[in-house]
Amino acid sequence: MDTLLKYIRRNVKVKVTLLLAPPLIFLAIWFYAPFMIVGLYSFDMINIYREITFTPSLTHYSKVLSWTGAAGIFLRSLYFAGVTVALCLLIGYPVAYYISFKVKKYKDLFIILFIIPFWVSFLLRTYAMMSILDERSIFNTILVSIGLINSPIKIMYTDAAVILVMVYDYLVMMVLPLYANLEKLDKSLLEAASTLGADPVKTFLKVTLPLSMPGIMAGFLLVFIPSVGEFVIPELVGGPNNYMVGNIIYEIFMGARHWWTGSALSMLFIAFILSLVIVYVRRVGERGLAI
Amino acid sequence: MSEIYSVELIDVLKRFGNVVAVDHVNLKIRENEFFSLLGPSGCGKTTTLRIIAGLEEPDEGIVKLYGEDVTDVPTHKRNIGMVFQHLALFPHMNVFDNIAFGLKMRKTPKEEIKRKVKEALEIVKLEGLENRRVNQLSGGQQQRVALARALVIEPEVLLLDEPLGALDLKIRQHMMVELKNIQRRVKTTFIYVTHDQTEAMTMSDRIAIMKDGRIQQIGTPLEIYYRPSNTFVASFIGEAVNLIIGEIGENNVMNTSLGTVYCPEQSIKGKAAVMVRPEMLEIGENLSQVDNLFKGIVQAAIFKGSYIEYRVDVQGTIFIVHKHGIDGMEKFYTPGTLVEIGWKKNSSLTIPV
Ligand SMILES: Nc1ncnc2c1ncn2[C@@H]1O[C@H](COP(=O)(O)OP(=O)(O)OP(=O)(O)O)[C@@H](O)[C@H]1O
Ligand SMILES: [Mg+2]
Repeated sequence: MDTLLKYIRRNVKVKVTLLLAPPLIFLAIWFYAPFMIVGLYSFDMINIYREITFTPSLTHYSKVLSWTGAAGIFLRSLYFAGVTVALCLLIGYPVAYYISFKVKKYKDLFIILFIIPFWVSFLLRTYAMMSILDERSIFNTILVSIGLINSPIKIMYTDAAVILVMVYDYLVMMVLPLYANLEKLDKSLLEAASTLGADPVKTFLKVTLPLSMPGIMAGFLLVFIPSVGEFVIPELVGGPNNYMVGNIIYEIFMGARHWWTGSALSMLFIAFILSLVIVYVRRVGERGLAI
Repeated sequence: MSEIYSVELIDVLKRFGNVVAVDHVNLKIRENEFFSLLGPSGCGKTTTLRIIAGLEEPDEGIVKLYGEDVTDVPTHKRNIGMVFQHLALFPHMNVFDNIAFGLKMRKTPKEEIKRKVKEALEIVKLEGLENRRVNQLSGGQQQRVALARALVIEPEVLLLDEPLGALDLKIRQHMMVELKNIQRRVKTTFIYVTHDQTEAMTMSDRIAIMKDGRIQQIGTPLEIYYRPSNTFVASFIGEAVNLIIGEIGENNVMNTSLGTVYCPEQSIKGKAAVMVRPEMLEIGENLSQVDNLFKGIVQAAIFKGSYIEYRVDVQGTIFIVHKHGIDGMEKFYTPGTLVEIGWKKNSSLTIPV
């Protein structure tokens, strides 16, 4: 027993394997297995009796690919996610920058104030947003009654509503990695730039921004990936014209109960997003992450 | 006709909360001078340097560069270069881009940038490392990149904040010589912040000694060493110093708890300290030709290579004696030995206290 323990302690490979085993097994069961099953469905390798067959076919893929609406839905998902990421970055960067660079005393407090809303469940937050966006919301009522606007603003069930709620829900995912990144940034680099004749704008563009690329990357992925697959938000605050891929997949699985088509669509979408992310990471990442 | 100074601080004061980091500092630094700010940790050296750079705004006083009031001019518009204590090299750029940064900000043409960066690399002896990432360089090499980056923009004044702090002794000694050579070659005013007196003594034309935000003395290394203007400077500079406090009366005679001490001609009157450097003290069994002579007991004898340091107890006061040129072991006094120590009055100095 003693010698076995000693062996394990000395042998790094064995040690690492043993340490990693529990999470790996967990991942394998709860993540990779379901994913494999979706894969099997998409290649028509599971029949209606839930038996595995070894006669793969691409019929479900060709069905999905021949569906002309797919491209539009893919593009709309990308568009929603893209705008969401852009807005999160546009709002999140200044926030992270401000807290990291300008706040002197109560940085933690600022960050906590920012995080607190996200302790509330995602659904509750979304419902709360709905009550603000609604035509009969208290805001619209107040704005109309003080005469600032003539008729209530209608946001619910539009693209704007979907994007607005997604930005609200995912903003923290952008701010936190950016903040962590900017906090790490050695402030004397900015002073060095100024002693070399760089004004504040140049300093930002040549030093701060390139050095915060890893944070931007992380924030981008953390916001983009969940928002591109989002289906709850468009379901709740979007209309039938604001559907994203997630909604279609949900419909096919839960409405039509055609797991084969749903799986093929899921796989295609995953492949699509994965290739986009890989291209993005290659392009931006090489510059950004190499630091 | 007044001389133009490269840097002039007039009654500069800077507070951080309750701390007065820089307290009514006046400095006049000459063109092409190697000027050091020397003092213990926390005495305000860095803050003073940052005020010259414009990275810190003084609460009171005026900063002038070449006669021009720049107190309200932002850093990037002052023609200064700075080498930071932790170098602050840009990690996302290679050596070339780091050095070229300042030139690019000045919109220097591409060809000229190339030529100047090459020259700068030659000055700091880093030819051929243009394309290295800065984290692939040794500490000493990074040091040189930081120096080249600050020098290449040909600043009117180069500010250096303990640039050798992170290096080990050998490279540090080497870089001291290098820095002085570079300063001679590029003909720029260097303002050098350090808490290491060897660095300041080795390189400087003049040194300002600081303590608690105030300038204690400004002078050449020799002046600072041999003519300290107060007891703080006397004990801060040099390896060790002997200070005897007493009251000077008529005829330059001082009354002390040890007895009478003869001071140099034209000494001040009243309460004062007499300073004797350890190497000015003589030690023996039968001293002659000294003006002041005391008997004491050797408490410790420490062999330090080129000299022996004795600690001699004279009626409870410890004197430190450095004995150079030891010829053999016969003159080595072991602890417990009764000895005489003494000095000529002209190799001592009286300092007001
Ligand atoms: N940004 C700051 N905020 C508050 N106090 C500061 C700040 N910068 C410096 N101080 C204080 O001002 C005094 C002088 O600091 P400074 O950094 O100038 O000292 P220094 O001589 O460079 O010391 P060292 O040799 O340790 O670098 C210190 O008491 C320090 O604590
Ligand atoms: Mg300092």
